Amino acid sequence: MSTERRKVESRNDVFVERTETKIWLEVEDQHNPYLADSCLCHGYDLLELTQKRSFVEVLYLLFRGELPGIDEARLLEQLMIALINPGPRHPATRAAMTAGVGSTDREHILPIALSIYGGSHLGAGEVEPAMDWLRKQRKHDPGQVAKELIANGTPPGEGDWHIAPGFGSRFGGVDPMATKIANHLSSLPGTHETLTWGCEFARALNSHTLGWLSPAIAAAVFTDLGFSPRAGAGLFQLLGAPGLLAHGVELSNKPVTAMPFVKDENYVIQYE
Amino acid sequence: MSSNMNNSSYRLWDERRGKIQSKKGGWVVGNGIFNHGYSMMDDLVGKASYMQVLVLNATGRLPERPLADWFEACHICMSWPDPRIWCNQIGALGGTSRASVVAATTAGVLAADAKTYGSKPLLQGVQFIQSAMQDHRRGVSAEEIVSNACAKHRGKPNITGFARPLAKGDERVVAMERVQKQLGLPTGEHLQLALQIESTLMKQFNESMNINGYASAFLSDRGYTAEEIYRIFAIVVNSGITACYVDTNDKTPDAFLPLRCTDIEYTGKLARPVPC
Repeated sequence: MSTERRKVESRNDVFVERTETKIWLEVEDQHNPYLADSCLCHGYDLLELTQKRSFVEVLYLLFRGELPGIDEARLLEQLMIALINPGPRHPATRAAMTAGVGSTDREHILPIALSIYGGSHLGAGEVEPAMDWLRKQRKHDPGQVAKELIANGTPPGEGDWHIAPGFGSRFGGVDPMATKIANHLSSLPGTHETLTWGCEFARALNSHTLGWLSPAIAAAVFTDLGFSPRAGAGLFQLLGAPGLLAHGVELSNKPVTAMPFVKDENYVIQYE
Repeated sequence: MSSNMNNSSYRLWDERRGKIQSKKGGWVVGNGIFNHGYSMMDDLVGKASYMQVLVLNATGRLPERPLADWFEACHICMSWPDPRIWCNQIGALGGTSRASVVAATTAGVLAADAKTYGSKPLLQGVQFIQSAMQDHRRGVSAEEIVSNACAKHRGKPNITGFARPLAKGDERVVAMERVQKQLGLPTGEHLQLALQIESTLMKQFNESMNINGYASAFLSDRGYTAEEIYRIFAIVVNSGITACYVDTNDKTPDAFLPLRCTDIEYTGKLARPVPC
Protein backbone atom coordinates (compact mmCIF):
# COMPACT_ATOMS: atom_id res chain seq x y z
CA MET A 1 0.00 0.00 0.00
CA SER A 2 1.54 3.27 -1.04
CA THR A 3 2.06 6.24 1.22
CA GLU A 4 -0.12 8.22 -1.14
CA ARG A 5 -3.09 5.95 -0.56
CA ARG A 6 -2.79 6.51 3.17
CA LYS A 7 -2.67 10.27 2.79
CA VAL A 8 -4.30 11.82 5.83
CA GLU A 9 -7.24 14.10 5.20
CA SER A 10 -9.53 15.66 7.75
CA ARG A 11 -13.10 14.41 7.74
CA ASN A 12 -14.15 17.94 8.62
CA ASP A 13 -16.57 16.62 11.19
CA VAL A 14 -18.92 19.27 12.48
CA PHE A 15 -18.51 19.75 16.22
CA VAL A 16 -20.83 21.73 18.44
CA GLU A 17 -19.70 25.20 19.45
CA ARG A 18 -20.84 24.69 23.03
CA THR A 19 -21.36 21.62 25.17
CA GLU A 20 -25.04 21.12 25.93
CA THR A 21 -26.61 20.08 29.22
CA LYS A 22 -30.13 19.68 30.49
CA ILE A 23 -28.92 19.16 34.05
CA TRP A 24 -27.32 22.32 35.32
CA LEU A 25 -27.49 26.02 34.65
CA GLU A 26 -24.88 28.37 36.03
CA VAL A 27 -26.23 31.90 35.86
CA GLU A 28 -23.36 34.30 35.36
CA ASP A 29 -22.51 36.99 37.82
CA GLN A 30 -23.17 40.43 36.37
CA HIS A 31 -19.60 41.55 37.02
CA ASN A 32 -17.66 38.44 36.04
CA PRO A 33 -18.87 36.01 33.37
CA TYR A 34 -16.69 33.23 34.78
CA LEU A 35 -18.43 33.30 38.16
CA ALA A 36 -21.84 31.80 38.78
CA ASP A 37 -24.25 33.90 40.79
CA SER A 38 -26.75 31.06 41.06
CA CYS A 39 -27.08 27.46 39.99
CA LEU A 40 -30.17 25.60 38.83
CA CYS A 41 -30.51 21.83 38.87
CA HIS A 42 -33.17 20.87 36.33
CA GLY A 43 -34.71 24.29 36.97
CA TYR A 44 -34.54 24.24 40.77
CA ASP A 45 -32.35 26.75 42.57
CA LEU A 46 -29.55 24.92 44.34
CA LEU A 47 -29.80 26.90 47.56
CA GLU A 48 -33.55 26.35 47.68
CA LEU A 49 -32.92 22.63 47.26
CA THR A 50 -30.50 22.66 50.18
CA GLN A 51 -33.22 24.07 52.38
CA LYS A 52 -36.15 22.00 51.23
CA ARG A 53 -34.89 18.66 49.98
CA SER A 54 -32.69 15.80 51.14
CA PHE A 55 -29.45 14.70 49.51
CA VAL A 56 -31.07 11.57 48.15
CA GLU A 57 -33.88 13.54 46.54
CA VAL A 58 -31.42 15.82 44.77
CA LEU A 59 -29.37 12.82 43.68
CA TYR A 60 -32.51 11.36 42.10
CA LEU A 61 -33.27 14.75 40.53
CA LEU A 62 -29.82 14.90 38.93
CA PHE A 63 -30.34 11.66 37.06
CA ARG A 64 -34.10 11.67 36.43
CA GLY A 65 -34.76 15.37 35.92
CA GLU A 66 -37.64 15.43 38.41
CA LEU A 67 -37.85 15.15 42.17
CA PRO A 68 -38.84 11.71 43.47
CA GLY A 69 -42.03 10.83 45.28
CA ILE A 70 -41.87 9.64 48.88
CA ASP A 71 -41.69 5.97 47.92
CA GLU A 72 -38.95 6.48 45.34
CA ALA A 73 -36.85 8.57 47.72
CA ARG A 74 -37.23 6.01 50.49
CA LEU A 75 -36.28 3.13 48.21
CA LEU A 76 -33.19 4.93 46.92
CA GLU A 77 -32.10 6.03 50.37
CA GLN A 78 -32.45 2.55 51.80
CA LEU A 79 -30.53 1.08 48.88
CA MET A 80 -27.81 3.66 49.49
CA ILE A 81 -27.57 2.62 53.12
CA ALA A 82 -27.64 -1.07 52.25
CA LEU A 83 -24.80 -0.73 49.75
CA ILE A 84 -22.84 1.98 51.57
CA ASN A 85 -19.96 -0.38 52.25
CA PRO A 86 -18.85 -3.34 50.15
CA GLY A 87 -17.15 -4.52 53.35
CA PRO A 88 -13.52 -4.92 54.35
CA ARG A 89 -13.10 -8.19 52.42
CA HIS A 90 -14.24 -6.90 49.04
CA PRO A 91 -11.25 -6.46 46.66
CA ALA A 92 -12.15 -2.79 46.14
CA THR A 93 -12.14 -2.10 49.87
CA ARG A 94 -8.90 -4.01 50.24
CA ALA A 95 -7.46 -1.82 47.49
CA ALA A 96 -8.50 1.25 49.50
CA MET A 97 -7.00 -0.22 52.66
CA THR A 98 -3.81 -1.22 50.87
CA ALA A 99 -3.49 2.29 49.47
CA GLY A 100 -4.14 3.72 52.91
CA VAL A 101 -1.60 1.60 54.74
CA GLY A 102 0.90 2.12 51.93
CA SER A 103 0.73 5.88 52.63
CA THR A 104 -0.66 6.61 49.18
CA ASP A 105 -1.63 10.26 48.82
CA ARG A 106 -5.06 10.37 50.41
CA GLU A 107 -6.76 12.01 47.45
CA HIS A 108 -5.97 8.86 45.48
CA ILE A 109 -7.58 6.39 47.88
CA LEU A 110 -11.11 6.71 46.55
CA PRO A 111 -10.23 6.73 42.82
CA ILE A 112 -8.07 3.64 43.34
CA ALA A 113 -10.85 1.80 45.14
CA LEU A 114 -13.51 2.87 42.67
CA SER A 115 -11.42 1.63 39.75
CA ILE A 116 -11.32 -1.81 41.32
CA TYR A 117 -15.02 -1.52 42.20
CA GLY A 118 -15.62 -1.18 38.48
CA GLY A 119 -14.91 -4.85 37.94
CA SER A 120 -17.38 -7.16 36.29
CA HIS A 121 -17.36 -9.66 39.19
CA LEU A 122 -19.39 -8.24 42.11
CA GLY A 123 -18.60 -4.74 40.91
CA ALA A 124 -20.00 -1.88 38.91
CA GLY A 125 -19.15 -3.60 35.65
CA GLU A 126 -21.90 -6.09 36.39
CA VAL A 127 -24.65 -3.51 36.94
CA GLU A 128 -25.40 -2.28 33.43
CA PRO A 129 -25.53 -5.82 32.01
CA ALA A 130 -27.82 -6.73 34.92
CA MET A 131 -30.11 -3.77 34.17
CA ASP A 132 -30.26 -4.71 30.50
CA TRP A 133 -30.89 -8.34 31.36
CA LEU A 134 -33.59 -7.59 33.95
CA ARG A 135 -35.40 -5.23 31.59
CA LYS A 136 -35.63 -8.00 29.01
CA GLN A 137 -36.40 -10.91 31.34
CA ARG A 138 -38.95 -9.33 33.68
CA LYS A 139 -41.64 -9.89 31.04
CA HIS A 140 -41.18 -13.63 31.46
CA ASP A 141 -42.00 -16.03 34.25
CA PRO A 142 -39.04 -15.92 36.67
CA GLY A 143 -39.31 -19.59 37.56
CA GLN A 144 -39.23 -20.59 33.92
CA VAL A 145 -36.27 -18.29 33.21
CA ALA A 146 -34.39 -19.85 36.11
CA LYS A 147 -35.26 -23.34 34.97
CA GLU A 148 -34.01 -22.69 31.43
CA LEU A 149 -30.80 -21.06 32.59
CA ILE A 150 -30.05 -23.94 34.94
CA ALA A 151 -30.78 -26.46 32.20
CA ASN A 152 -28.69 -24.72 29.56
CA GLY A 153 -25.91 -23.19 31.64
CA THR A 154 -22.54 -24.62 32.49
CA PRO A 155 -20.95 -23.82 35.82
CA PRO A 156 -17.27 -22.82 35.68
CA GLY A 157 -14.68 -25.44 36.49
CA GLU A 158 -13.94 -23.67 39.76
CA GLY A 159 -15.15 -20.59 41.58
CA ASP A 160 -18.52 -18.94 41.65
CA TRP A 161 -21.09 -19.21 38.91
CA HIS A 162 -22.87 -16.05 37.81
CA ILE A 163 -25.74 -17.63 35.98
CA ALA A 164 -27.09 -14.23 34.95
CA PRO A 165 -25.58 -10.76 35.46
CA GLY A 166 -25.73 -10.05 39.20
CA PHE A 167 -27.15 -13.44 40.15
CA GLY A 168 -25.15 -16.46 41.22
CA SER A 169 -23.18 -17.96 44.07
CA ARG A 170 -20.76 -16.25 46.41
CA PHE A 171 -17.99 -18.31 47.96
CA GLY A 172 -19.91 -21.35 46.86
CA GLY A 173 -23.17 -20.43 48.56
CA VAL A 174 -26.20 -18.15 48.45
CA ASP A 175 -25.28 -14.73 49.85
CA PRO A 176 -27.58 -14.29 52.85
CA MET A 177 -26.97 -10.54 53.21
CA ALA A 178 -27.82 -9.90 49.58
CA THR A 179 -30.98 -11.97 49.97
CA LYS A 180 -32.04 -10.10 53.11
CA ILE A 181 -31.38 -6.71 51.56
CA ALA A 182 -33.34 -7.53 48.41
CA ASN A 183 -36.25 -8.94 50.39
CA HIS A 184 -36.31 -5.89 52.65
CA LEU A 185 -36.22 -3.42 49.79
CA SER A 186 -38.96 -5.27 47.94
CA SER A 187 -41.16 -5.00 51.04
CA LEU A 188 -41.02 -1.21 51.04
CA PRO A 189 -44.12 0.71 49.94
CA GLY A 190 -44.41 1.36 46.24
CA THR A 191 -44.26 -0.61 43.03
CA HIS A 192 -41.02 -2.49 42.49
CA GLU A 193 -41.75 -4.64 39.49
CA THR A 194 -38.12 -5.50 38.73
CA LEU A 195 -37.13 -6.04 42.33
CA THR A 196 -40.12 -8.28 42.92
CA TRP A 197 -39.31 -10.25 39.77
CA GLY A 198 -35.70 -10.55 40.92
CA CYS A 199 -36.79 -11.92 44.31
CA GLU A 200 -38.88 -14.60 42.63
CA PHE A 201 -36.06 -15.42 40.24
CA ALA A 202 -33.56 -15.66 43.10
CA ARG A 203 -35.89 -17.94 45.05
CA ALA A 204 -36.12 -20.21 42.02
CA LEU A 205 -32.33 -20.37 41.94
CA ASN A 206 -31.76 -20.98 45.64
CA SER A 207 -32.01 -24.77 45.49
CA HIS A 208 -29.06 -24.67 43.07
CA THR A 209 -26.98 -22.63 45.56
CA LEU A 210 -27.46 -19.48 43.52
CA GLY A 211 -29.22 -16.23 44.31
CA TRP A 212 -29.01 -12.46 44.56
CA LEU A 213 -25.67 -10.66 44.37
CA SER A 214 -25.36 -7.00 45.25
CA PRO A 215 -24.92 -5.66 41.67
CA ALA A 216 -28.29 -7.10 40.66
CA ILE A 217 -29.99 -5.60 43.71
CA ALA A 218 -28.73 -2.19 42.64
CA ALA A 219 -29.65 -2.94 39.04
CA ALA A 220 -33.21 -3.90 39.97
CA VAL A 221 -33.75 -0.81 42.11
CA PHE A 222 -32.18 1.50 39.53
CA THR A 223 -34.45 -0.03 36.90
CA ASP A 224 -37.54 0.42 39.07
CA LEU A 225 -36.55 4.02 39.75
CA GLY A 226 -36.22 4.66 36.03
CA PHE A 227 -32.48 5.28 35.89
CA SER A 228 -30.75 4.67 32.61
CA PRO A 229 -28.62 1.50 32.44
CA ARG A 230 -25.79 3.79 31.35
CA ALA A 231 -25.85 5.36 34.82
CA GLY A 232 -25.90 2.02 36.60
CA ALA A 233 -22.18 1.39 36.94
CA GLY A 234 -21.36 4.85 38.23
CA LEU A 235 -24.29 4.95 40.64
CA PHE A 236 -23.21 1.62 42.07
CA GLN A 237 -19.70 3.02 42.56
CA LEU A 238 -21.16 6.13 44.15
CA LEU A 239 -23.19 4.08 46.60
CA GLY A 240 -20.18 2.04 47.72
CA ALA A 241 -17.80 4.99 47.84
CA PRO A 242 -18.35 5.98 51.50
CA GLY A 243 -17.38 2.56 52.80
CA LEU A 244 -14.42 2.26 50.47
CA LEU A 245 -13.09 5.62 51.56
CA ALA A 246 -13.73 5.06 55.26
CA HIS A 247 -11.73 1.82 55.27
CA GLY A 248 -8.88 3.40 53.33
CA VAL A 249 -8.72 6.42 55.60
CA GLU A 250 -8.84 4.23 58.70
CA LEU A 251 -5.51 2.67 57.73
CA SER A 252 -3.93 5.77 56.22
CA ASN A 253 -2.09 6.82 59.36
CA LYS A 254 -0.97 3.34 60.32
CA PRO A 255 2.35 1.63 59.58
CA VAL A 256 2.60 -0.92 56.78
CA THR A 257 2.70 -3.60 59.46
CA ALA A 258 -0.98 -2.86 60.22
CA MET A 259 -1.99 -5.21 57.40
CA PRO A 260 -0.75 -8.76 56.86
CA PHE A 261 2.22 -9.32 54.56
CA VAL A 262 2.26 -12.84 53.21
CA LYS A 263 5.21 -14.73 54.66
CA ASP A 264 7.84 -16.14 52.33
CA GLU A 265 6.81 -19.69 53.15
CA ASN A 266 3.28 -18.90 52.02
CA TYR A 267 4.42 -17.25 48.79
CA VAL A 268 4.79 -19.97 46.19
CA ILE A 269 6.15 -19.39 42.72
CA GLN A 270 4.64 -21.95 40.37
CA TYR A 271 6.02 -21.77 36.87
CA GLU A 272 4.09 -23.70 34.25
CA MET B 1 -4.86 -20.15 59.22
CA SER B 2 -7.30 -22.67 60.53
CA SER B 3 -11.03 -22.98 60.67
CA ASN B 4 -13.37 -25.22 62.55
CA MET B 5 -15.73 -25.14 59.61
CA ASN B 6 -15.13 -27.34 56.63
CA ASN B 7 -17.31 -27.71 53.62
CA SER B 8 -16.58 -28.72 50.08
CA SER B 9 -18.54 -25.73 48.77
CA TYR B 10 -15.93 -23.28 50.04
CA ARG B 11 -12.86 -25.51 50.15
CA LEU B 12 -11.46 -23.64 47.12
CA TRP B 13 -11.28 -20.44 49.13
CA ASP B 14 -10.02 -22.13 52.28
CA GLU B 15 -7.11 -23.57 50.32
CA ARG B 16 -6.06 -20.08 49.26
CA ARG B 17 -6.39 -18.26 52.58
CA GLY B 18 -3.17 -16.55 53.62
CA LYS B 19 -1.23 -17.90 50.65
CA ILE B 20 -0.22 -16.59 47.26
CA GLN B 21 0.53 -18.96 44.43
CA SER B 22 2.05 -16.95 41.60
CA LYS B 23 2.72 -18.16 38.09
CA LYS B 24 4.65 -14.98 37.38
CA GLY B 25 7.47 -14.62 39.84
CA GLY B 26 8.32 -12.66 42.91
CA TRP B 27 10.89 -11.39 45.33
CA VAL B 28 12.62 -14.08 47.36
CA VAL B 29 14.35 -12.00 49.97
CA GLY B 30 18.06 -12.74 49.99
CA ASN B 31 17.88 -14.89 46.86
CA GLY B 32 16.75 -12.52 44.18
CA ILE B 33 13.84 -11.25 42.16
CA PHE B 34 12.37 -13.67 39.68
CA ASN B 35 10.22 -13.00 36.65
CA HIS B 36 8.78 -15.86 34.62
CA GLY B 37 11.80 -17.99 35.38
CA TYR B 38 14.35 -15.25 34.74
CA SER B 39 16.47 -13.69 37.43
CA MET B 40 15.59 -10.03 36.99
CA MET B 41 18.99 -8.67 38.00
CA ASP B 42 21.08 -11.34 36.29
CA ASP B 43 19.12 -12.17 33.13
CA LEU B 44 17.11 -9.08 32.28
CA VAL B 45 18.56 -5.86 33.65
CA GLY B 46 21.03 -4.50 31.13
CA LYS B 47 20.36 -7.38 28.76
CA ALA B 48 16.72 -7.05 27.76
CA SER B 49 14.95 -3.83 26.78
CA TYR B 50 12.18 -2.35 28.89
CA MET B 51 9.69 -3.26 26.15
CA GLN B 52 10.87 -6.88 26.12
CA VAL B 53 10.20 -7.09 29.86
CA LEU B 54 6.85 -5.32 29.47
CA VAL B 55 5.74 -7.93 26.94
CA LEU B 56 7.13 -10.69 29.15
CA ASN B 57 5.04 -9.43 32.05
CA ALA B 58 1.92 -9.13 29.91
CA THR B 59 2.18 -12.48 28.14
CA GLY B 60 4.70 -14.67 29.95
CA ARG B 61 6.86 -14.78 26.82
CA LEU B 62 10.01 -12.77 26.21
CA PRO B 63 9.96 -11.50 22.63
CA GLU B 64 13.06 -11.19 20.49
CA ARG B 65 14.60 -7.72 20.50
CA PRO B 66 13.45 -6.74 16.98
CA LEU B 67 9.84 -7.48 17.87
CA ALA B 68 10.19 -5.57 21.13
CA ASP B 69 11.58 -2.65 19.13
CA TRP B 70 8.52 -2.88 16.89
CA PHE B 71 6.30 -2.73 20.02
CA GLU B 72 8.20 0.32 21.20
CA ALA B 73 7.79 2.09 17.88
CA CYS B 74 4.09 1.24 17.93
CA HIS B 75 3.77 2.73 21.41
CA ILE B 76 5.39 5.92 20.14
CA CYS B 77 2.87 6.01 17.29
CA MET B 78 -0.14 5.68 19.53
CA SER B 79 0.46 8.58 21.89
CA TRP B 80 1.27 12.15 21.03
CA PRO B 81 1.00 15.46 22.88
CA ASP B 82 -2.17 17.05 21.52
CA PRO B 83 -4.64 17.96 24.28
CA ARG B 84 -7.56 17.89 21.90
CA ILE B 85 -7.34 14.09 21.96
CA TRP B 86 -9.70 12.93 24.70
CA CYS B 87 -7.30 11.06 26.97
CA ASN B 88 -4.72 13.80 26.60
CA GLN B 89 -7.26 16.46 27.49
CA ILE B 90 -7.85 14.67 30.78
CA GLY B 91 -4.12 14.95 31.43
CA ALA B 92 -4.27 18.66 30.60
CA LEU B 93 -7.26 19.16 32.90
CA GLY B 94 -5.31 17.38 35.63
CA GLY B 95 -2.43 19.76 35.10
CA THR B 96 -4.55 22.87 35.21
CA SER B 97 -6.29 21.69 38.39
CA ARG B 98 -2.96 20.74 39.96
CA ALA B 99 -3.66 17.04 40.26
CA SER B 100 -0.49 15.00 40.60
CA VAL B 101 1.20 13.84 37.41
CA VAL B 102 0.46 10.25 38.40
CA ALA B 103 -3.23 10.94 38.99
CA ALA B 104 -3.61 12.88 35.75
CA THR B 105 -1.69 10.37 33.66
CA THR B 106 -3.48 7.34 35.05
CA ALA B 107 -6.84 9.11 34.69
CA GLY B 108 -6.03 9.70 31.03
CA VAL B 109 -4.94 6.10 30.59
CA LEU B 110 -8.23 5.00 32.13
CA ALA B 111 -10.10 7.24 29.71
CA ALA B 112 -8.48 5.43 26.80
CA ASP B 113 -10.12 2.21 27.97
CA ALA B 114 -12.74 3.23 25.46
CA LYS B 115 -14.78 1.78 22.65
CA THR B 116 -13.55 4.15 19.96
CA TYR B 117 -9.87 4.75 20.60
CA GLY B 118 -6.96 3.69 22.82
CA SER B 119 -6.16 0.13 23.71
CA LYS B 120 -9.58 -1.50 24.03
CA PRO B 121 -10.48 -1.46 20.30
CA LEU B 122 -7.48 -3.73 19.78
CA LEU B 123 -9.64 -6.52 21.22
CA GLN B 124 -12.15 -6.09 18.43
CA GLY B 125 -9.47 -5.44 15.85
CA VAL B 126 -7.75 -8.73 16.59
CA GLN B 127 -11.01 -10.63 16.83
CA PHE B 128 -12.02 -9.28 13.42
CA ILE B 129 -8.82 -10.14 11.57
CA GLN B 130 -8.45 -13.56 13.20
CA SER B 131 -12.06 -14.41 12.40
CA ALA B 132 -11.62 -13.05 8.87
CA MET B 133 -8.52 -15.21 8.49
CA GLN B 134 -10.49 -18.31 9.45
CA ASP B 135 -13.09 -17.42 6.82
CA HIS B 136 -10.37 -16.67 4.27
CA ARG B 137 -8.78 -20.08 4.83
CA ARG B 138 -12.18 -21.58 4.01
CA GLY B 139 -12.17 -19.74 0.72
CA VAL B 140 -13.94 -16.47 1.56
CA SER B 141 -12.36 -13.60 -0.38
CA ALA B 142 -11.37 -10.22 1.02
CA GLU B 143 -14.20 -8.66 -0.98
CA GLU B 144 -16.70 -11.04 0.60
CA ILE B 145 -15.28 -10.37 4.07
CA VAL B 146 -15.83 -6.65 3.55
CA SER B 147 -19.28 -7.23 2.14
CA ASN B 148 -20.27 -9.43 5.07
CA ALA B 149 -18.90 -6.93 7.59
CA CYS B 150 -20.69 -4.01 5.96
CA ALA B 151 -23.96 -5.96 5.89
CA LYS B 152 -23.89 -5.92 9.69
CA HIS B 153 -23.80 -2.12 9.70
CA ARG B 154 -26.35 -1.17 7.06
CA GLY B 155 -23.75 -1.14 4.34
CA LYS B 156 -21.29 1.10 6.17
CA PRO B 157 -17.61 0.07 6.45
CA ASN B 158 -17.75 0.00 10.22
CA ILE B 159 -14.88 -2.45 10.74
CA THR B 160 -12.58 -2.07 13.73
CA GLY B 161 -9.05 -1.58 12.42
CA PHE B 162 -10.13 0.26 9.31
CA ALA B 163 -11.03 3.94 8.95
CA ARG B 164 -10.56 6.18 12.01
CA PRO B 165 -12.21 9.12 13.77
CA LEU B 166 -11.55 12.70 12.65
CA ALA B 167 -9.48 11.88 9.55
CA LYS B 168 -9.14 9.51 6.64
CA GLY B 169 -5.82 7.75 6.19
CA ASP B 170 -3.30 6.89 8.88
CA GLU B 171 0.28 8.11 8.76
CA ARG B 172 1.17 5.76 11.62
CA VAL B 173 0.70 2.72 9.41
CA VAL B 174 3.17 4.14 6.92
CA ALA B 175 5.70 4.73 9.69
CA MET B 176 5.22 1.27 11.15
CA GLU B 177 5.60 -0.42 7.77
CA ARG B 178 8.92 1.38 7.48
CA VAL B 179 9.96 0.22 10.96
CA GLN B 180 8.85 -3.33 10.22
CA LYS B 181 11.03 -3.34 7.11
CA GLN B 182 14.01 -1.88 8.97
CA LEU B 183 13.69 -4.53 11.66
CA GLY B 184 13.46 -7.32 9.09
CA LEU B 185 10.08 -8.53 10.32
CA PRO B 186 8.18 -10.30 7.54
CA THR B 187 4.55 -9.76 6.60
CA GLY B 188 2.45 -12.79 7.48
CA GLU B 189 -0.90 -14.06 6.28
CA HIS B 190 -3.04 -11.94 8.61
CA LEU B 191 -1.35 -8.75 7.51
CA GLN B 192 -1.56 -9.79 3.88
CA LEU B 193 -5.29 -10.32 4.29
CA ALA B 194 -5.62 -6.98 6.09
CA LEU B 195 -3.92 -5.30 3.13
CA GLN B 196 -6.35 -6.99 0.74
CA ILE B 197 -9.27 -5.83 2.88
CA GLU B 198 -7.79 -2.35 2.83
CA SER B 199 -7.57 -2.41 -0.96
CA THR B 200 -11.23 -3.34 -1.15
CA LEU B 201 -12.21 -0.63 1.30
CA MET B 202 -10.13 1.92 -0.59
CA LYS B 203 -11.89 1.07 -3.84
CA GLN B 204 -15.37 1.03 -2.39
CA PHE B 205 -15.25 3.61 0.39
CA ASN B 206 -11.92 5.44 0.16
CA GLU B 207 -11.12 4.19 3.67
CA SER B 208 -7.78 2.70 4.66
CA MET B 209 -6.38 0.54 7.42
CA ASN B 210 -5.61 2.28 10.70
CA ILE B 211 -2.89 1.56 13.25
CA ASN B 212 -5.22 -0.78 15.12
CA GLY B 213 -5.84 -2.88 12.01
CA TYR B 214 -2.16 -2.97 11.17
CA ALA B 215 -1.03 -3.90 14.69
CA SER B 216 -3.84 -6.44 15.14
CA ALA B 217 -2.90 -8.24 11.93
CA PHE B 218 0.88 -7.98 12.43
CA LEU B 219 0.66 -9.38 15.96
CA SER B 220 -1.84 -12.08 14.97
CA ASP B 221 0.84 -13.30 12.59
CA ARG B 222 3.10 -13.69 15.61
CA GLY B 223 0.65 -15.75 17.62
CA TYR B 224 -0.59 -13.15 20.06
CA THR B 225 -4.19 -13.36 21.21
CA ALA B 226 -6.53 -10.37 21.43
CA GLU B 227 -6.36 -10.35 25.22
CA GLU B 228 -2.55 -10.50 25.19
CA ILE B 229 -2.36 -7.54 22.83
CA TYR B 230 -4.83 -5.54 24.96
CA ARG B 231 -2.66 -6.24 27.99
CA ILE B 232 0.58 -5.27 26.26
CA PHE B 233 -0.92 -1.97 25.14
CA ALA B 234 -2.65 -1.25 28.46
CA ILE B 235 -0.91 2.08 29.04
CA VAL B 236 -0.04 2.86 25.43
CA VAL B 237 -1.35 6.44 25.62
CA ASN B 238 0.50 7.45 28.76
CA SER B 239 3.37 9.56 27.44
CA GLY B 240 1.21 11.97 25.43
CA ILE B 241 -1.02 12.43 28.46
CA THR B 242 1.94 13.28 30.65
CA ALA B 243 3.13 15.82 28.08
CA CYS B 244 -0.27 17.50 28.05
CA TYR B 245 -0.30 17.48 31.83
CA VAL B 246 3.10 19.14 31.98
CA ASP B 247 2.01 21.82 29.52
CA THR B 248 -0.89 22.98 31.68
CA ASN B 249 0.72 22.25 35.03
CA ASP B 250 3.48 24.70 34.15
CA LYS B 251 0.93 27.42 33.42
CA THR B 252 -1.63 29.37 35.43
CA PRO B 253 -4.11 27.12 37.28
CA ASP B 254 -7.61 26.75 35.88
CA ALA B 255 -6.57 28.52 32.67
CA PHE B 256 -6.72 25.62 30.22
CA LEU B 257 -9.63 26.14 27.85
CA PRO B 258 -11.47 28.32 30.41
CA LEU B 259 -15.25 28.47 30.12
CA ARG B 260 -17.53 31.37 30.83
CA CYS B 261 -20.87 30.36 32.35
CA THR B 262 -22.49 30.95 28.97
CA ASP B 263 -20.00 28.67 27.21
CA ILE B 264 -22.16 25.78 28.38
CA GLU B 265 -25.48 25.62 26.59
CA TYR B 266 -28.29 24.91 29.01
CA THR B 267 -31.27 23.22 27.39
CA GLY B 268 -33.07 22.03 30.51
CA LYS B 269 -36.09 23.12 32.47
CA LEU B 270 -36.69 26.80 33.10
CA ALA B 271 -36.38 28.14 36.63
CA ARG B 272 -39.12 26.75 38.87
CA PRO B 273 -39.85 26.79 42.61
CA VAL B 274 -39.01 23.74 44.68
CA PRO B 275 -42.34 22.16 45.71
CA CYS B 276 -42.95 21.81 49.43
